[in-house]
Amino acid sequence: MAAVLLIESAMKFAIAVFSAAHAPSSRRALLFAQAALAGGHEIVRLFFYQDGVYNASDAVVTPQDETDLPKQWRTFITEQNLDGVVCIAAALRRGVLNTEEAGRYQRDAVAVSAPWELSGLGQLHDAVQDADRLICFGGA
Amino acid sequence: MSTLHVLSHSPFGDERLTSCLRLLGTADALLLCGDAAYALQPGTAPFNALENRQVKLFVLAEDAQARALQVPDWAEAIDYAAFVELSIHHDKVNTWL
Repeated sequence: MAAVLLIESAMKFAIAVFSAAHAPSSRRALLFAQAALAGGHEIVRLFFYQDGVYNASDAVVTPQDETDLPKQWRTFITEQNLDGVVCIAAALRRGVLNTEEAGRYQRDAVAVSAPWELSGLGQLHDAVQDADRLICFGGA
Repeated sequence: MSTLHVLSHSPFGDERLTSCLRLLGTADALLLCGDAAYALQPGTAPFNALENRQVKLFVLAEDAQARALQVPDWAEAIDYAAFVELSIHHDKVNTWL
């Protein structure tokens, strides 16, 4: 009975991150995502939009005495086997490219690799259709 | 239909809190995080506005603590687990980005 109740109360979350890795709101997004899973809920997709694409950049070097958020995202997404999608248009204009896009536009710098995936804004829309709640993190 | 409004900007830098209070429905709640927690600074206009309005008010405990803000008895300090539950309790979550 308890197991049935647990399943019934489990919710699906879509989480959108709009701020860069060094913004406090990006850290809040990760802590919320971790708490959601800890509470027995599901994360349909993590979508990184606008400056949020910097969370997926392997090129970010965090000072040693600060929280390395890109690394924490990578670990979290990998360990939990989550769908971490980076908006491709936002990523291109910020120079956050994966191997495929770097090749397409003849650029040397590759900053995004698995588990991250570059894809379109439609992936956010799709996630929202599937999820019970969309939670956005950004700004300050 | 209820909405959880999430604010993270300082109420002393822009009009987000003012706009939010104007839109806030009777079933809605407000969560202060980050610099928005400064609205709990006693004796200030945002503090008085929140106290007079008697909104359902929450604040992330770590953000209030990091800013040495006392949480008044008409607000509730919560952790991330409670933030998740709060987002489920309301039909929608609107973040004032």
